[in-house]
Amino acid sequence: MLQMKNISKVYQTEKVQTHALRDFDLNVDEGEFIAVTGPSGSGKTTFLNIAGMLESFTAGQYMLDGVDVGSLSDNARADLRNQKIGFIFQGFNLIPDLNLFENVEVPLRYRGIKSSERKERVMHCLEQVGLASRIKHLPQQLSGGQQQRVAIARALAGEPRFLLADEPTGNLDSLMARQVMELLEQINRDGATIIMVTHDPELARRAPRNIQIVDGQIADFTLYQKPTAVPVASVAGA
Amino acid sequence: MLEIKPIFNSLFRSKAGAILLVLQIAITLAIVSNSLSIIKDRMDYLQTDSGYSEQDLFQISTSVFAKDTDLLYLLEETERTLLGMNGVVNASFMREVPLSGSGSSSNFGNKPLDQNESEDYRSVNTAYTTTPASIFDTLDMTLIEGRFYTDSEVLKFNGDGGDLPTQVVVSKHYLDEIYPDGDGLGQFIYIGNSPIEIIGVVERAMGPWPKSNRPLNFAFFPIVDATGSQKFVVRTEPDMREQVMNEVEEVLLAQFNQRVIMNIQGLDDAKREYQASDILMLRMLVILIVLLVSITALGIFGMTVFNINKRTKQIGTRRALGARKSHIIRYFLVENSILCISGMVLGAIGAIYLGQMLFEHYSVPAFSAMYVVYTAIFVLIISLLSVLFPANRAANISPSIATRSV
Ligand SMILES: Nc1ncnc2c1ncn2[C@@H]1O[C@H](COP(=O)(O)OP(=O)(O)OP(=O)(O)O)[C@@H](O)[C@H]1O
Ligand SMILES: [Mg+2]
Repeated sequence: MLQMKNISKVYQTEKVQTHALRDFDLNVDEGEFIAVTGPSGSGKTTFLNIAGMLESFTAGQYMLDGVDVGSLSDNARADLRNQKIGFIFQGFNLIPDLNLFENVEVPLRYRGIKSSERKERVMHCLEQVGLASRIKHLPQQLSGGQQQRVAIARALAGEPRFLLADEPTGNLDSLMARQVMELLEQINRDGATIIMVTHDPELARRAPRNIQIVDGQIADFTLYQKPTAVPVASVAGA
Repeated sequence: MLEIKPIFNSLFRSKAGAILLVLQIAITLAIVSNSLSIIKDRMDYLQTDSGYSEQDLFQISTSVFAKDTDLLYLLEETERTLLGMNGVVNASFMREVPLSGSGSSSNFGNKPLDQNESEDYRSVNTAYTTTPASIFDTLDMTLIEGRFYTDSEVLKFNGDGGDLPTQVVVSKHYLDEIYPDGDGLGQFIYIGNSPIEIIGVVERAMGPWPKSNRPLNFAFFPIVDATGSQKFVVRTEPDMREQVMNEVEEVLLAQFNQRVIMNIQGLDDAKREYQASDILMLRMLVILIVLLVSITALGIFGMTVFNINKRTKQIGTRRALGARKSHIIRYFLVENSILCISGMVLGAIGAIYLGQMLFEHYSVPAFSAMYVVYTAIFVLIISLLSVLFPANRAANISPSIATRSV
C-alpha cells in the first residue's frame, strides 16, 4: 500500500545542507505493523512526515494506495491525509481550547460528516480508548496517558487505513506506554496498517516488523518478520 | 463547514481577550455611528446654499466720528461713490449683513397680538434687515411672487426714530412657515398689533446666522436708518472683487474722511469665519473616527497575530488532520465574525443610547438607526480585512509543525 523509491530529502538552511533522507526505499503492505528505530537525527521523523504527506520530498517517488503523492495539490494532500491517515504525536497535540469530544471530532468536521454521525463515531472511538465518560473535559484536565488515548481516538475517528505514530510513548511512563502499545496492537489486529517510530527497544521488539534508519537510509532488515495481522480492507466496525 | 460551535466554545473558554475586543468593537460602532450622524448634519449645514453669489459680494462698515454730519446724505453719497467705482455692479446700505454672524431677528405673528388666543395664531421667528430697494439687485435676488418694494416706498430716518414699516419682502422659507397653505402673498405679518403686508417673495435668502435652526428665514423691510455705524454690501463684476476691496477704503476716505472704514470682508470669507469652529469640529470628528477605526483594526490584527502565534502547533495539527488552507482561513474569519457580531449588537444598543443622550443634552440632531447599519457594515469589512492577512499567514503554517515542535 505504501511504496517509496529513491526518496531523498534535503533541508536547505542558510549555510548547511542536511540530507535527512537519501535514496530511501521502502514497501509497506496492507496490515503491517512496523516499528522504526534509529539514532537521533537519523531521519525517522522526516520519513514519517513524508509518509504522512506533512512534508514534501526533494526527489524520488512515493505511491500511496496507487496514488503518486508527488503530483498532488496541497488540497488533495489535505483530503488524502484526512481520509487515509491517522496521526499520533509524541506531544499528543490535542487542541487545548476544545474538550475531548470536540478534539476527536476535528477530522470528521474536515471531512464534512454530518453531526449525528459524527457524534456516533466520536463516542464509539472514545469508548474504545475508555474515556467516553469524560467528553466534556479539557485536555489539560487529563494525565499524559489519557491524553494520548484521546489522541488515538482522534486518529481512529476517521477510520484511517494507515496510522503514523512518532514516538507515541515518548512522553509516557512505562505502564502508560504499555497500555498505548496494547491499544495500537488492537487497532492493527482490526486491520489498520501502522508505522511507529520509537526509541524503546522493548516496544520495537513487540512489532512484527522492525526497520532501522541510520543516516537517512534503512540500515538493517535483520529483525524483519512477516506481518502477523490479516489484512482487512478497513477498520470500519473496529 | 463552519466550526461555529467549537469556535464559540473555545472563545468562551479564553474570555479576557475576546471580551476586550468585543468592547472595543462596540465602542467603535457607538462612537463612529454617532459621529457620522453629526458629521452628516454639519455637512448639510455647511453646504446649504445661501442663495447669494458670495464670491462676488463683500461687506464694509463705516463709522463716522465727525459731529453734526448729515448721516442720511452721507449714506446715499457713499452708495453713489461705491457705484462709481470701476468693477462695482451695485452697492446698498444694509443694516444686517447676511452670513456675517451679527444681525437682528424677531417673532412676527400671522394675526395681531391681541388675537393670540385664537386657534390658528402662529408666531414664527425670522432674521430681518432694513435696507433700500437697491438691495434686491445688489444681492441678485430671484423674485418668485409679488414685487420688490421701490425706492419711494422706503422710510428714511435720519436720527429721528420712525414709523413702523407697512410692507415687507420675505424669503420663501419664511413665507411657507408663517403661511403654510401657500396663500401668504398679500397677507400680513404683525409686529404687536401693527400689520405689515407681504408684497414679495424671494426664492432663497440666508440670514446672518447660517447655523441657526431657521437659516433661510429672512425678511427685508423698506427702511433706511442712517444712525449708528453704516454697513454696505457691494456686488462686483466677477474677478473684480479683490481689486475693488483693495481700493475701497481709499476711495471712501477721499469722499469723506471724518470716518473709519472697517471690516472689509468677502461674504464667502465672512461665512467661513462664522463656520470656522464647525469646520474644526468636523475635522476633529473625522480624526476621531479614523483613529478609532485604526485602533480597532490594529486590535483585531494584533489579536489575530497573537492567537496565531499561540496556536501554531494547533494549526499544524489541524492541517495534519486534514484541514485545507481554506479551512484555517475560515476558522479565523468565523472567529472574528463572532466577535464582531457580538460587538455590533452591543455597539448598536450603545449607539442608540448615546444618540439619545447627545440629542437630549446637546444641540445634536436626532440619531437615525441607519448610521448604525452603515457603520456596522463598514466595521465588519475593516475587521475582516484586518484578519485576512494574518489568517492567510496562518494557513501557510506547515503541517510538519505538528511533529517538529513539542
Ligand atoms: N526543518 C528543518 N530544517 C533543517 N534541518 C532539519 C529540519 N528538520 C529536520 N532537520 C534535520 O534533518 C535531520 C533528520 O531529522 P529528523 O527529525 O528526521 O530526525 P529523527 O530521526 O526524527 O531524530 P529524533 O530521534 O531526535 O527525533 C536532522 O539532522 C535534523 O537536524
Ligand atoms: Mg523525531
